Amino acid sequence: MAEPEKKKAELKISGMHCATCAVSVEESLSKIDDVASAQVNFGTEKAHVEFDPSKVSLGTLEKAVKDAGYDVVNSEATIKVGGMMCATCVETIEAALRELPGVVAVTVNLGTEKAYVTYNPSLSGIPDMKKAIEDAGYQYLGIAGEVSEEAEKKARDTDLHEKFVRFMIGFAVSIPLMLAMYVPLPITMQALAYLMLIISTPVFVFVAGPIFKAAWISLSHRALSMDVMYAMGTGVAFVASVMGTFGIILTHEFMFYDTAIMLAAFLMLGRYLETRAKGRTSDAIKKLAGLQVKVATVIRDGTEQEMPVEDVVLGDLVIVKPGAKVPVDGEVVSGESYVNEAMITGEPVPPLKSPGSHVVGGTLNTNSVITIRAEKVGKETVLARIIQMVEDAQGSKPPVQRIADIAVTYFIPVVLLIAAGSFVLWYFVFHETALFALTALISVLVVACPCALGLATPTAVTVGVGRGAELGILIRNGEALEVAENVTTVVFDKTGTLTKGRPEVTDIVPVGIQEATLLALAASVEKDSQHPLAIAVVKAAQERGVKMETATHFDTFGGRGVAGTVLAETVLVGNRAFLNERSVTIPADVDSRITEFEQEGKTAVLVAAGGAISGVIAIADQVKPTTKDAISKLRMMKIHVAMLTGDNRRTAEAIGRQIGIDRVIAEVLPQDKEAEVRALQAKGEIVAFVGDGINDAPALARADVGIAIGSGTDVAIESGDIVLVRGDLIDAVAAIQLSKKVMGRIKGNIFWAFAYNAALIPVAAGILYPSFGITFKPELAALAMAASSVTVVTLSLLLRKYIPEAKKG
Amino acid sequence: MAIDPICKMTVDEKTAKFTSDYKGKKYYFCAPGCKKKFDADPAKYA
Repeated sequence: MAEPEKKKAELKISGMHCATCAVSVEESLSKIDDVASAQVNFGTEKAHVEFDPSKVSLGTLEKAVKDAGYDVVNSEATIKVGGMMCATCVETIEAALRELPGVVAVTVNLGTEKAYVTYNPSLSGIPDMKKAIEDAGYQYLGIAGEVSEEAEKKARDTDLHEKFVRFMIGFAVSIPLMLAMYVPLPITMQALAYLMLIISTPVFVFVAGPIFKAAWISLSHRALSMDVMYAMGTGVAFVASVMGTFGIILTHEFMFYDTAIMLAAFLMLGRYLETRAKGRTSDAIKKLAGLQVKVATVIRDGTEQEMPVEDVVLGDLVIVKPGAKVPVDGEVVSGESYVNEAMITGEPVPPLKSPGSHVVGGTLNTNSVITIRAEKVGKETVLARIIQMVEDAQGSKPPVQRIADIAVTYFIPVVLLIAAGSFVLWYFVFHETALFALTALISVLVVACPCALGLATPTAVTVGVGRGAELGILIRNGEALEVAENVTTVVFDKTGTLTKGRPEVTDIVPVGIQEATLLALAASVEKDSQHPLAIAVVKAAQERGVKMETATHFDTFGGRGVAGTVLAETVLVGNRAFLNERSVTIPADVDSRITEFEQEGKTAVLVAAGGAISGVIAIADQVKPTTKDAISKLRMMKIHVAMLTGDNRRTAEAIGRQIGIDRVIAEVLPQDKEAEVRALQAKGEIVAFVGDGINDAPALARADVGIAIGSGTDVAIESGDIVLVRGDLIDAVAAIQLSKKVMGRIKGNIFWAFAYNAALIPVAAGILYPSFGITFKPELAALAMAASSVTVVTLSLLLRKYIPEAKKG
Repeated sequence: MAIDPICKMTVDEKTAKFTSDYKGKKYYFCAPGCKKKFDADPAKYA
């Protein structure tokens, strides 16, 4: 049977204000048939849904979210369309756009020549719409207006403003009311009661309205959310006051209109602060998104044209002026300039880009005009892929959050029980006053805070992953964080990871001639060869400015060496066996140097001219400058370090000694790297494998955490659970440290959230009253509740400034 | 002047960019949308 088709969509949800909201959206989405999974992140306010697009439409998903009482924020774009003549054209374009995945609604206006599209940007973008319009035979004339980031910001601002107004009015009214209870007024108690009722009712409805509305929605879904608790808490206070006013069962003692309003105001204040703080957790992604360029200068039909970056296609020649950002990924075709790549790679020194160099979108051209040929545009660019990856990771939860998620589901029923229980106990068993028992009930309802539990993980993951991106450490998901924290062994691939990955000439030992002459002889013969050792020799010659001669009668001898005629003399370049074969005698002192090189893990290339030895050139794939430091830092963290290589044992051990790795696994064929990782895992090690993704992809996948390293802007983003933008191994250490830090923060958050509730709920229920006479005023309980979730978010925000130990000094 | 068989607009044969041949007869369209609709089921409109 064929696997049912699966598609992932991301919905931006608005209106969620607590962890239980996230759970109810999740439930509502999962209930739909053919939805494979739904995960809602309360911190980023996004739902990640996996569904079968042939059976479920985006509209169905949206309806489910709306039914649960929340809303989906979509992007809107207005596209100018050319070539429409009649109503049929309108139909054609509407149909073409509607067919795109993620498009929710399309209206095409023939008169204004515009298409109004409401869409989900995680599934389709403007370039897809452009293609759809063009494929239908019409012209895409650009965007007249796009509301995506702005829509989100506007929604958040309105929401914040509304909450602000509500709690301010709540305080403005409740404070005078409270004073009125204490200040003797020239009216009877009964008159005051009516006056308060008249003033309070509209204010209470206004301030607490959203709480009741949310509570009603969740009750109608047979769910218990925290809104239900808060509605009960404030509702009980208000209803008791009304009953007191009219003398129904209760007396004037029960007039706490001020408490009811102030309670609602505090709850609103808490939500206001929380929403504000939450908005800041995704600052890192906004910073990355801000790097994207909107307009590009492209040469078309021989003239320079400014156009939206969405319109740049592969192969376009794009002009980048000094001080401007590079709009797309491409190859420099003319001009030379220093390009600042710090925003992508974290590398502070801008490298020089000349024809043939590659540049990536979002980097800053500093000093001179360059022209580039577009190689990657739209979603394919490095920047777009980094943003996508970070966003995905921010939405994922590490397994530790399950504890908190399970706790949240049991939390509310338990709190309701405790609240009711404490009322019953105080009133009926201990015969306290009804006022006292009621106060305990209300306090328990409002002090309980599943919010802090729900926010503990998503806020820390969002901020931590974002911070990682700023440091050049891309973490693919929450699980990677949790595993990286517990790594016991780090296995490094040698070539390209510990070392630079390309052989370089390290020593030149001439015999009876000048160093330059030796190099010239060797390079002249080698310059036509593609062998990595030959390339290293030629490169060394070029760097030293040595003049190369033309070689004739060039011949290669199967990996042992090459021969050629330079300036009428036969030159042999090769290994010891090759020269012995050609009866060239190798003097004892030269021979001992060769052995020395081999012990250092270097390859010795022997050069002979006219039948006599003229020198030795040592070549090695040199260790990156920071490798040794990174290894010693890992050892200091009590993590085992191992090296995996295809080199022979002697060479491998020589390099291991040089950088301080004692566990060397040598002579491993590429296809066996994965088996070596597995062998370590079988011994109970939690293995991180660090490699460059070239011929070690299976090992990266097999390891508990695969750390893929990039080099500069050439990032293999698809491989690895953690991707390091730079090839610097210090970043691998920093990634583990960052994971530990984020996980520590998550565990701390979860602990505090539990501890807070465990400590304050009993106090609110009056447990300290019999021995110490301590109870909670409901207003204080509401304040404490708000403080706890704000604390969790604030602690997570501290991660924004975190610098891993390895990166310091 | 020809008539677009789909939307019944008048189309100038000389400048028309969208045309289709069906059973030896040439049909003119105002825009690609109409042509597409015609090509999908020419018997219905011809």
